[in-house]
Amino acid sequence: MAPAKSTETTWSVGYDTLRREHLFRHPPKDQTAYPALAEAIRPHVDSFNALFDGPKILEAGLKDIGTKTFVDGDFESPEQKRARQAEGRKPPRRNRLQVRVKEVLLEKPALPPTNKFTTRNRNIYPSECRERHATYRGKLRARIEYRVNNGDWAESVRELGQVPIMMRTNRCHLENATPNELVQHKEESEELGGYYIVNGNEKLIRMLVVGRRNYPMSIIRGSFVKRGQAYTKFGVQIRSVRPDQTSQTNVLHYLSDGGVTFRFSWRKNEFLVPVMMILKALVETNDREIFEGIVGGPNSEGMKNTFVTDRVELLLRTYKAYSTHSRASCRALLGEKFKPVLGIPMDTPNEEAGAEFLRKVVLPHLGNQDVTETQDYDKFKLTLFMIRKLYALVAGDCAPDNPDAVSNQEILLGGFLYGMILKERLEEWVRSLAPVLRDWSMRNHGARFTDPAFERDFLGKIVKRTNENLGGALEYFLSTGNLVSPSGLDLQQTSGYTVMAEKINFYRFISHFRMIHRGSFFAQLKTTTVRKLLPESWGFFCPVHTPDGSPCGLLNHLAHKCLIATSNVDVSHLPRLLVQLGVRSESSVSLEESVTVQLDGRIVGFCSPAQARVVADTLRHWKVAGTHRVPRELEVGYVPNSTGGQYPGLYLFSQAARMYRPVKYLPLDQLDYVGPFEQPFMEIACLPNDLIAGLSTHIEYTPTNILSIVANMTPFSDQNQSPRNMYQCQMSKQTMGTPGTAIDYRTDNKLYRLQTGQTPIVRPPLYNAYGLDNFPNGTNAIVAIISYTGYDMDDAMIINKSAHERGFGHGTIYKTKVHGLDDKDSRRGKSRREVGKLFGFAPGAEVKAEWRQTLDEDGLPHIGARVREGSLVAAWHTVRYDAATDSYVNVDGHTHFVKYKDAEEGYIDSIRILGAESGVEPCQSISVKYRVPRKPIIGDKFSSRHGQKGVCSQLWPAVDMPFSESGIQPDLIINPHAFPSRMTIAQMVESMAGKAGALHGHAQDSTPFQFSEENTATDYFGHQLRKAGYNYFGNEPLYSGITGKEFAADIFIGVVHYQRLRHMVNDKFQVRTTGPVNSLHGQPVKGRAKGGGIRVGEMERDSLIAHGAAFLLQDRLMNCSDAQRAWLCRCCGSFLSTQATVTATSAGKAAAAVAVAAASAAAGQEDQQKQQKQRTGAGGAGSLVRCRRCAREAVFEDSRAVVWEDGNGRRYVGGDDVTVVAVPGVLKYLDVELAAMGIRMKFLVDN
Amino acid sequence: MSREAYQAPTMGGGNQNAFATDGAVSLEGPMVAYLCGECNSRVSLKRGDQIRCKECGHRVLYKERTKRMVQFEAR
Repeated sequence: MAPAKSTETTWSVGYDTLRREHLFRHPPKDQTAYPALAEAIRPHVDSFNALFDGPKILEAGLKDIGTKTFVDGDFESPEQKRARQAEGRKPPRRNRLQVRVKEVLLEKPALPPTNKFTTRNRNIYPSECRERHATYRGKLRARIEYRVNNGDWAESVRELGQVPIMMRTNRCHLENATPNELVQHKEESEELGGYYIVNGNEKLIRMLVVGRRNYPMSIIRGSFVKRGQAYTKFGVQIRSVRPDQTSQTNVLHYLSDGGVTFRFSWRKNEFLVPVMMILKALVETNDREIFEGIVGGPNSEGMKNTFVTDRVELLLRTYKAYSTHSRASCRALLGEKFKPVLGIPMDTPNEEAGAEFLRKVVLPHLGNQDVTETQDYDKFKLTLFMIRKLYALVAGDCAPDNPDAVSNQEILLGGFLYGMILKERLEEWVRSLAPVLRDWSMRNHGARFTDPAFERDFLGKIVKRTNENLGGALEYFLSTGNLVSPSGLDLQQTSGYTVMAEKINFYRFISHFRMIHRGSFFAQLKTTTVRKLLPESWGFFCPVHTPDGSPCGLLNHLAHKCLIATSNVDVSHLPRLLVQLGVRSESSVSLEESVTVQLDGRIVGFCSPAQARVVADTLRHWKVAGTHRVPRELEVGYVPNSTGGQYPGLYLFSQAARMYRPVKYLPLDQLDYVGPFEQPFMEIACLPNDLIAGLSTHIEYTPTNILSIVANMTPFSDQNQSPRNMYQCQMSKQTMGTPGTAIDYRTDNKLYRLQTGQTPIVRPPLYNAYGLDNFPNGTNAIVAIISYTGYDMDDAMIINKSAHERGFGHGTIYKTKVHGLDDKDSRRGKSRREVGKLFGFAPGAEVKAEWRQTLDEDGLPHIGARVREGSLVAAWHTVRYDAATDSYVNVDGHTHFVKYKDAEEGYIDSIRILGAESGVEPCQSISVKYRVPRKPIIGDKFSSRHGQKGVCSQLWPAVDMPFSESGIQPDLIINPHAFPSRMTIAQMVESMAGKAGALHGHAQDSTPFQFSEENTATDYFGHQLRKAGYNYFGNEPLYSGITGKEFAADIFIGVVHYQRLRHMVNDKFQVRTTGPVNSLHGQPVKGRAKGGGIRVGEMERDSLIAHGAAFLLQDRLMNCSDAQRAWLCRCCGSFLSTQATVTATSAGKAAAAVAVAAASAAAGQEDQQKQQKQRTGAGGAGSLVRCRRCAREAVFEDSRAVVWEDGNGRRYVGGDDVTVVAVPGVLKYLDVELAAMGIRMKFLVDN
Repeated sequence: MSREAYQAPTMGGGNQNAFATDGAVSLEGPMVAYLCGECNSRVSLKRGDQIRCKECGHRVLYKERTKRMVQFEAR
């Protein structure tokens, strides 16, 4: 068979309508047509793949965990030991149990074996997980080995729960699926993967900026002083990365007396060790070797550097106090001290424990497993180098490295972080055996590991009692983003690692995968230095695409050509190559004499500065030419000598997590990859006229390489004022667009869809390369820039009513709601008999016709039913499982309903009946997708592609719209005032280009940086317009739609691509007069969702006062809030002492009436009025209100007319000077609160 | 208004049931057909049945498009 023609993957700027149509109808069966898109998310997928395949990071992690040893018997306290030694007894024999994890296996998602119904295809595909709101996960198993006292290793495979799996990785069924297969499995034809599906939500671990690995950074940080006495702000820090991608940060601190301490943190605790002890423990050495290792040979220039010689001498002298000289004694000391910290069993020899300490903590990137002597020597040499760099920093010979610059950063990839967590969980799991073992021993009366019972119980009882559900921990991590870790993983934050991959539109979606966060720790920082855009970021981070506001500068996006290495390249032969190039081992502290040559943080040797340059240039040439097996991805970081600049040397990097990007190497005219460390010291021209003869070595392929995918889509962005491009990047991600073509199979909580998406006329070729026509995001609109009708003031815009009726900006919101029957939110794990509710009308009971309005006979709504607030969405009834008939019986005959709660009208779009993985459960939850149509209405937000957002203010009838000589009416009218201050020239250019493109029928290339002052865009498109018979400047005479007269000025009118933003009034409007109030003080609650009000705050109050709008204030702050009528005693001025009198019997009531009459007769007119007021004020209850405080107890002589009675039957006289006042409810509340604290409020009431 | 009124007979009867396979309305409730999310075959279920496709064992079933007249007043 002849090989079929493979799918074409190159794209131009054109519409390619037929080609896209064909692709859409016949998804390719070989490869995707948009490789650039797949490339954009590669770092995510590849980093996950690296866990189990290729570099097998998890395997390296298991080696780092090593073998855990547990001993039985009781721990011997020092006193016991002394007593035993005094008696001369041998130590009690304790048995050792060793456990190690040999292998970790992760399976692809499949049905559990309990499901016996599916035989054909037991795979679970991602679409099913989305639809069932489940997690896409596979079974994790570990092969553990254990032995007792050097016996034979026994083996067992343990199941460790189900671990979420990243889409389209090597543990996903769709890893190599073609677009056609993807469509078969209900995915997008261009499904990219790179995310996890957790409870039906698409989650991804976002990329995080971390310090560059294996490179000693000099740091000046004020907080170092707080470490202790004599500590200074100087330090050298290295983030040493193990083969399993976990890291260990080592810091050397400079002390004010010239000494150096080694600091590291282990399980969130910090430890300080004299650096000399580390040095002596690493290799068998002597003071002379250390001295010459730092300063240089006796004949070197370095000997003249008294600053360093003095301090090294002091370093060596002060260490004498420890009087541990040999390697063995230093290791023994370290081992003794760190045994409990590292969890090494107490019966391990100290020296062995010391070696373990060095393996795990000290520069593990140079030797982490089976450390050889050479590797220890490498660690020794690098420590000496770090001391040297520290002294250079203190002496001011070199500048501190900037940890905020991209050159000193790398990316922590999601997959690697996932592997780190998995590794740590595995280690914790093995460690957790210790308490279980102890418990087992105690329960069995001090049983030993050698007992036969142990072998029987170990797997079944001991291991089983540990928490083996590692999958649950990872699922928790993904769904919350919280890192629960005893070690902290050498990271600075504990939460915010994951984000939801929202598919609001495709720009938003793809941006999630290109997003790089600096870390939430920096978000709280008061200083803005971390947020600055540094020149080092050129070509790696997009300078435009960052949000404004609080995450500005912390949340960056990768430039669209920036790549991230996900595996190490082979550089094993490079040291030999470097030696051949003249790198030797002798060194000196004098930088004029020798500079370091390092490969991935390992010192290969030293050479003179001049030679370092030659070596760097040679390597560069070889790596581009591909000779000498120098990989192209190698980063050749040559830092030249300078006065007080960065510490010089030649630093080669080959490992994963680095950023790199393509540029053209001029001498060979070939592709070269450039990393952020080397870039600041290279001469890379941006444009051909930037080239400097004899200096420039590289040139950018195109200047747009520095922009992100989204930033590249802004047409002619070079002609806009820069903040507008930032706004556009933000707004394009909030556009109501097309999230995808598999909308039917998506169950996102909320999905926005634009009904009438169009391809923009004006777009860059990248638009096609990234396949964005599959996800149209806006509509081409005829836009007139004119002040017309007055409804286009202040960024408002007028939409032509006919355009609106033709579907301009029409959109839909899909909301998916899961209606479950179980009370707890757990959607799984219910046996057949536990089911207590079922969907459907209660059998046997009558079904009312009004219920059947929306519901079918199965109690579920029919597709297409219109639902309003309170409509019935599902019927259910309670049941009891009847084992005799194997059926569910309803007893009460009562039907309950699930109701639609939203205020907005919608339609039932689809209903899914969700089964369980086991396949035996009756229907316990349904997933209902509602469709809410949202045509544009007044108050909805629109924007052009230039950060020019506006609100629709009117739907203007077409007859009243202005029209041109050719009869064209604008779809949109915007106000000319939108332009002068914002300077979005590119929108004007787009308008002209769009008009010309529409007239000539072709797409316009809107790549930025293609026009210049000499060759202007307006001229280019002006000529096109003129060719089409239009005005060169894009203006046209327009006629008023109302008078029919020509406007005095020609109007600028053209075609602009408009986006509809997802912010719509229907989701925002908030209005109330009355409504829910707070139960404590009676003020309106806040929050739109609760029907609350908008606060009239201090500033609003001030404004109303200033306007003298007193009645308005009264209305807002009193009447619409918590106004109350309250009784107040005029005499003592208190709310609290007034109380209603009790008229227990009708006789009493009559008596009271008599009393009133008598009192009125006795007292004057004024009192009478007051009494009447009191009676009405009491709400017609008939009782009187008196002040208890001003009253006195009644005595026998008192007339019955003036005596009143309280609830307890006590009788009083007086306290009748009370009145009703209107006060805010909170005032009374305040009075009560103050009274509780012993403070009385007194109110003086006039009149 | 008249259109709304027109709708009444279609739902008043209740036996205009497009789903009922053969009018098997037993005490256990009516049989209603759903569509399998995987193989698109019709799966008839009644109240309390286990949720899975009889053909392929798939665990997500769709409700069928109604055959009832769905009419709204366009305003």
